[in-house]
Amino acid sequence: MLHGYSSSLLDGAWLTLQVAVLSLVLALVLGLAGASAKLSRSRVLRAPAVLYTTVVRGIPDLVMMLLVFYGGQIGINQITDRLGWDYVDINPFAAGVATLGFIFGAYFTETFRGAFLAVPAGQLEAGYAYGMSRWQVFRRILFPQMLRHALPGLGNNWQVMQKSTALVSIIGLSDLTWLADQAGRSTHQPFLFYAVVCAFYLAMTAASGVLFRSLERRYSVGVRRAAA
Amino acid sequence: MKRSLLLAALVLVSHSVVAKDWDKIRFATEGAYPPFNSTAPDGSVQGFDVDIGNALCAEMKAECTWVKQEWDGMIPALMSRKFDAISASMSITAERKKKVDFTDKYYATPLALVAKKGSPLRPELASLKGKRIGVQRGTVADNFAGHFWADHGVDLVRYAKQEEVYLDLGAGRIDATWVDALEADGGFLTKPAGAEYDFAGSQVFGRNAEEKAVIGEGVGIAIRKRDADLRDKLNTALKAIRANGTYDEIRKKYFPHDIYGE
Repeated sequence: MLHGYSSSLLDGAWLTLQVAVLSLVLALVLGLAGASAKLSRSRVLRAPAVLYTTVVRGIPDLVMMLLVFYGGQIGINQITDRLGWDYVDINPFAAGVATLGFIFGAYFTETFRGAFLAVPAGQLEAGYAYGMSRWQVFRRILFPQMLRHALPGLGNNWQVMQKSTALVSIIGLSDLTWLADQAGRSTHQPFLFYAVVCAFYLAMTAASGVLFRSLERRYSVGVRRAAA
Repeated sequence: MKRSLLLAALVLVSHSVVAKDWDKIRFATEGAYPPFNSTAPDGSVQGFDVDIGNALCAEMKAECTWVKQEWDGMIPALMSRKFDAISASMSITAERKKKVDFTDKYYATPLALVAKKGSPLRPELASLKGKRIGVQRGTVADNFAGHFWADHGVDLVRYAKQEEVYLDLGAGRIDATWVDALEADGGFLTKPAGAEYDFAGSQVFGRNAEEKAVIGEGVGIAIRKRDADLRDKLNTALKAIRANGTYDEIRKKYFPHDIYGE
């Protein structure tokens, strides 16, 4: 089956999974930082966060990928040439993860910002009244309640993000989509390999659907659905 | 804060020393254009472009490595020094010459129109008016059709990959494809999917000076403009493998007829 290409496709699937998960981690960190900056009282923190979400969400992912990888490399080359250094290579894996994480961090910023705002201020004030520190209020009161509001949006962004990993092929990473495309064209059976790709992505998104539903249940304890 | 994180991620880089005497050369190909270059089940690249590249390296006594690169990023990646040379059936055109340098040609193929068997279509403007003609974007066939046909009533449909053009031809969404004749022969007409199809009209090498200028000088290996020394070495090696029979041996593996042209 698959004309001997199955092991190479498995490698591609593993790479796709790695890119997706690592970008998710980076995007979550950037999203939390971005949302905190956007909600902060300091203009110095707010301004770059607003610039970040406006610019990044406004540029197509593909263009961003090309800019960072090729534009960044040409920029670095000019600097190293001027300094007389050796050629310094941007690692495509790091660039792919960084770019995807950077792009989706902007979407996550907005998701988190909305979720932070959805937690009633009285809850936080009650926390302070009990003598909790800012960190304690964040960890015990704000974060768990915020996450309940954020999870549906995060799940949605995560699904989009998994499929966006196919973009990393443009910068030379052998992800599943590109390997399947090459195998399909080399054997002249494109649809067979496209079907494999579809099955993989569907399995990945379905599995994360299950995970997100259980997370949502966990963070919704203490809130009861209205009876229909 | 976010910017410094991005920079930190980009600093995860690896160093590599560029040998100025070219005893190590990094070649790139697409790995999806059989029989010129394709990907083997183990992930390695194979095909005419690859064999020629390896023969040149053997002649130059250089150590060569192969990188697979998506077609759309091919020239940007060469310019940003991800590799040193492109051997991927890239035609030498005036437009590409603005950005990169080429060796002498290592083969030249005509363009041809492919349609249903017995189709009355011919690769001439009068015959193609009002028809939907598919081409692979960014190829010589695309340039040719864009230059001579698109503004004169031919409905040009551009695709990212030639394989997609064949799929749409099979689905009846286009009337014909205008394509490299060797590509069509090896990649479609001799396969089950292409059984109902054939060349329509004669193959075109350039019927006048204007057409010849667009079709170009054939297919060469692309290198950065600043690496003129590498270009000269490759050209010398190319002459040598043409003269000592290595070239013909490789060609016979893939094609029954000569593909070097005049």
